[in-house]
Amino acid sequence: MNPLSAAKPQSNPSLQTGVPLTENAIAATAHDLEIRGVSKQFGSLMVLNNINLSVKAGEFIAIMGPSGCGKTTLLRIIAGLEGMTSGEIRLQGKDITHLPVHRRNTPMVWQSFALFPHLNVQQNITFGLTLIPHNRADVKRKVQEVAKMMHLETMLNRPISQLSGGQKQRVAIARALITEPKILLLDEPMSALDPHLRVRMQGELKRLQQTLDISFIYVTHNQNEAFSMADRVVVMNQGNIDQVGTPTEIYSRPATHFVAEFVGNNNLFDGEVVSVSEKTVTVSCPQGRMQALWHEQPHQVGDRVTVVVPAERLSLASAGTPGENTINATLRGFEFMGSQVIYFLETDTGYEVRMIRQEALDQSLSIPINSKLQLSWKIQDTILLGEQIQ
Amino acid sequence: MSTQRKQGIDLGLAIAGWGYLLLGFLFLMLPIVTLIAFSFEDARFPTFPWTGWTMRWYQELLSDGRLLQSLQRSLIVSPLAAAIATVIGFFAAYALNRFNFPGKNLLSTLFIVPILVPPLILGVAFLGLLSRLNLQGQVFSILLTHVVILMPTAIALISLRLAQMPKDIEEAAWNLGANEWQALYRVILPWAIPGIAGAWLLAFTFSFDEFIIAWFVSGFQPTLPVSIYTFLGANLSPSLNAIGTIVFGISVVLLTGVELLLLPLLLDGRSSSREM
Repeated sequence: MNPLSAAKPQSNPSLQTGVPLTENAIAATAHDLEIRGVSKQFGSLMVLNNINLSVKAGEFIAIMGPSGCGKTTLLRIIAGLEGMTSGEIRLQGKDITHLPVHRRNTPMVWQSFALFPHLNVQQNITFGLTLIPHNRADVKRKVQEVAKMMHLETMLNRPISQLSGGQKQRVAIARALITEPKILLLDEPMSALDPHLRVRMQGELKRLQQTLDISFIYVTHNQNEAFSMADRVVVMNQGNIDQVGTPTEIYSRPATHFVAEFVGNNNLFDGEVVSVSEKTVTVSCPQGRMQALWHEQPHQVGDRVTVVVPAERLSLASAGTPGENTINATLRGFEFMGSQVIYFLETDTGYEVRMIRQEALDQSLSIPINSKLQLSWKIQDTILLGEQIQ
Repeated sequence: MSTQRKQGIDLGLAIAGWGYLLLGFLFLMLPIVTLIAFSFEDARFPTFPWTGWTMRWYQELLSDGRLLQSLQRSLIVSPLAAAIATVIGFFAAYALNRFNFPGKNLLSTLFIVPILVPPLILGVAFLGLLSRLNLQGQVFSILLTHVVILMPTAIALISLRLAQMPKDIEEAAWNLGANEWQALYRVILPWAIPGIAGAWLLAFTFSFDEFIIAWFVSGFQPTLPVSIYTFLGANLSPSLNAIGTIVFGISVVLLTGVELLLLPLLLDGRSSSREM
């Protein structure tokens, strides 16, 4: 089926019966996006390396990673704006790998919004519908629906140049949703907004996605955006998917060295397994000996591992508590972050350690800079990663 | 006291400024005003004092017909050549803006070569080529050569406009279901219109008073500038003032029309490009 034909008045039931956009979207189930073995190569550079990802119907997926990790390229490949070296993409079971951009109905919300500057708000929103034979009354009704949903009713006749950043973004989303897609692609849509508006839009976007019950694929480098909205987060690094999981999973159980560094505020210590007991694994690091509980991964004596300790789990040691790891470090400075204080410390081997404490700044300031402290954390808060060092 | 003096200085400066502006316009417009005035002057030679009103020179112009014929020819060749050059220019500029291909830089350099070659040399070269093809001395040959010399400017102007286009909007059009032609027609073309209009206008003006190349290739089908030149050699008639006035009138009407039609568009395009 041609996705564009779905918007034709004669073939679209919602246009004839007047079923609202949202209900119509809910009625269509069992759709999903499948990315199978997608690779993209530029000369010797692997931009994407064998990417596999399945998106369930109505799922909010955030693809997160540093710039140059391939996240935007992946999104553009899904939209058909960029080709791939090998692999396959299926939308609702249909192979769209070789389908041209304009026949995919995978609308995208651009970072720059990419609104048409010579058209007003209404003309921007209806663009996708007016490309094919259409019934004016139907188009008009759909615009009203979408405009109401995106709170744009009062500004339909305004030129784009008179809109604020937040309004432009709402027009960009309205324009993408009017063809009733099963999937919406968003490429860092918040980065052009000011921080205050960003937080508000996160809530609005999540609500919108739940009301429409369509899949959102949201590319961002911002951890807060990804974690606050997504059902599942995909962490990408250098053309590979390092981890896919719920925000909690990714936060509490980073799968790779990279994820542990990129997500949250983790301290990483490289070391070697020196002993394995029934319940715990002991690792020898330059910073000292550390213990961790057993997890899925089997570890053997002699394995090179990375010990991950979230900065929020560290605390100032109360001497000799059993079941805790300790290290010695020198306090080098503080950073005040509202309700939190970040302690910057340095171990005897010159390794930087961060500790985050929920306390007022004056409480922290009672500790003089350069004083030697002992830090501790619970053994069950210690995460062990297998060999990842390249 | 001091504020009064300051106001006095301000007023003086304002008067001096306006006076300067007036003088500038006078300097620019005086030759044209003289030309128009003497086209209605009774005496054969343009001298003061004014001897009387007449429409004689316009009648002479109409009865002779040669100058009017070449004006007609110019009014066919110039708009058409400008239009063809603008269409070719748009597609060339579009391709240069959108695609990266081997030899792109070489090609864009080649596009501006006709500007760099002196018209005299181009004229001789065109004549040599066209006579070998048995195409010399026709209105068509002037059209052809003018398209060649007008193209570089058209490409440059339209490229400039396209380079200011927000990069994502063409992709956004495809993404929303537009095929290549729909995107071109509905998004790129509206964006490029100010550039296209400017390019056509400039090309038209350039072609309308282009003399050297037309002199070589027009043969017995001269355009207006060529005709005026031959006319001048034969006799110094005030009919020349009359044709000058007619041409000026046409230009004024044309330019006013274009301004009225396109100014809102141009201003709109500018404000939205700033916005993006």
